[in-house]
Amino acid sequence: MIAIINNLIQLLVILLLAPMVDGLIKKSKAFSQKRQGAPILQMYYDLFKLIKKDSVVSETASWIFKATPYIVFSTTAAAALLVPVTTLLPAVPFPGDIILLFYLLALGRFFMCISALDTGSTFGGMGSSREAMISSLIEPSILVSIFTIGLIAGSTSIHQMMVTMAAVGNPLFQPVFILTFLAMLIIILAETSRIPVDDPATHLELTMVHEAMLLEYSGKHLALMEYSAAVKQLILITLVANLFLPADQLIPFAGSGGFLLSVALYFLRVVLLSAMIAVAEISTVKFRFFSIPNLAALAFILSFLGFLQYFILGR
Amino acid sequence: MDSYFDLLSVLILLSSFILVSHKRIKSYIKTFRIQSALIALTAGIMGFHSLASEGSLDILLVCAIIILLKVIYIPRLLHKTYGNVEYKVEKDFFLNIPLLIIICCALVVFTYFSVSGISSLSADHINLQVVNSFSVILIGFFFMISRKKALGQMIGFLVIENGIFVTAMFSTHGMPFIVDIGIFIDMITAILIMGIMVVQINEKFESININKLRNLKG
Repeated sequence: MIAIINNLIQLLVILLLAPMVDGLIKKSKAFSQKRQGAPILQMYYDLFKLIKKDSVVSETASWIFKATPYIVFSTTAAAALLVPVTTLLPAVPFPGDIILLFYLLALGRFFMCISALDTGSTFGGMGSSREAMISSLIEPSILVSIFTIGLIAGSTSIHQMMVTMAAVGNPLFQPVFILTFLAMLIIILAETSRIPVDDPATHLELTMVHEAMLLEYSGKHLALMEYSAAVKQLILITLVANLFLPADQLIPFAGSGGFLLSVALYFLRVVLLSAMIAVAEISTVKFRFFSIPNLAALAFILSFLGFLQYFILGR
Repeated sequence: MDSYFDLLSVLILLSSFILVSHKRIKSYIKTFRIQSALIALTAGIMGFHSLASEGSLDILLVCAIIILLKVIYIPRLLHKTYGNVEYKVEKDFFLNIPLLIIICCALVVFTYFSVSGISSLSADHINLQVVNSFSVILIGFFFMISRKKALGQMIGFLVIENGIFVTAMFSTHGMPFIVDIGIFIDMITAILIMGIMVVQINEKFESININKLRNLKG
C-alpha cells in the first residue's frame, strides 16, 4: 500500500514539474539571446488552451492516428512511475526496470513514427524516417551506459543503482562515471530532440525532426503529444540527476523532514541539469543531418570507454 | 591522489578521441591545446606533490615548459603556418568519422590486452593510467595516417609526443629533468622544420594535400 502511495506521489511530482523544466530551458536560452522570453509557466497555459480546443483529424487517417497521443502519453506516464525521484521513495523496484523504462519510451516513439506515416503527408514521413535513424543510432550508447552502471551496482533496478551511486559519494571524479555521464548528456540531447541533433523551436521543412511528426496534430491530441515530450525530458533528466549527481547521502536526518530536504535537493539538481542542457544548446549549432552519426559514435565511444575503464580497474 | 590521475588520464584519452572526430584544422589545433593544458595540469599536480614530499622543483619546471611550449607557442606557430598556406575546403580524411572513432576504440582494447600483461604494471591505478596514455600514442599514429593534409599530420606527431610524455610520467611519476628537456628540444626542432616544409610544399604544389605529392614537379 505504501509503495503504491509512493509511486503516485512521484508520478505527480514528475507530471507537475515537467512543463516547468521545459520553460526553464527556454527561459535560459532567451536570457542568452538578450530576450525577455516567455514566462517559465508558459507551457501550462499553452496546454490548457490546447486541451479546450477540438482536434482536426484528416479523413484518410486510420485509428492509429487517433490512438497514438493516448498511447504515447500512457507509455510516458508508465515510464514516469519507474524512475524514483529520490532514494527515499522506493517505487516498487524490480530487476530490469531500467530496460523497461527505455523500451517504454521506445514504444511511444514507435507509435509516433507510424502515426506520422499514417496521414500520408510528406513531412510526417520525412520526420519519422529521421527520428528512426537517430533513435537507432543512439540506442547502443544507452544500453552500454546503463549496463555499465548496472554491472557496478550489481543490479538492473534503478533504485538499487541509485543507492549504489549515493554510496560512491562523488561519481563525477571517477573515470567510469564521468565517461558514462558525458554519454548520457549526449543521449538526453538526442532523445529530447535538442539542438545539436534537432531544433525544438524550428518549423523549417528541411531541418525539423520531432516537430515534423507532430505537424498533423492539433487541439487535445497536440497537447497530449507535447506534454508527453516534456515528461519524457524530465524523466531522462531525473534519471541522470539521481544516478550521477546523487545527493541523498548528504541528508543528515530521517523522517518527513529528510524527505522534504531530499525533494528540495532533487529540484535543485533538475534546475542545474536543465541549465547544463540550455548551455549545451546555446553553445553549439545544429548539426548537418549526416553529421549526427559522428555525434552518436562519440556517445557510443564515451559509454564503451566507460565500460572499459570499469573492466581495467575491476571495480 | 591516484583517482585524480585516473580522471586526468581518461580526459586526455577523451581529448584525443575528440581530436579524431573533428574535421577542420583549426579545431585540431584547439583540441591539441586543450590536451596539452590537461597534460600541464597533470604535471603540475605531480610537481606540487614531489615538491611537498622530496623538495625537488624538476617536475614543476617541466610543467612550466609544457605551458609555454605546447599550450602557447606551438599552437600559435601552427596557426601561423595555417595562415600562410592556401585555404581550400576539401575532405581531409580517408575513412568516414564514425569508422575512424570505432577503429580508435579497437586500438584502446588492443592496448588493454597488450599492456595489462606487463607484470611490473600490475598495480591497479598505474595499469589504468598506462593503458589510457599508451592508447593516446596509438591514436596519434592512427590520426597521422588517417589525414591527408600535412598540417593534420603535424598534429598527429604532436599527439604521439604528448602520449609518450604522459606514459612516461604516469609510469615513473617524474622522469629525470635532462631527459624531458632533450625530448622538448627535439620536438620543437621537428615542429619548426615541419612548419617550414609545409609552407614549401604549399608553394611547390599549391596544396598541402599529400595525395598531390605524387605529381612530378621540376
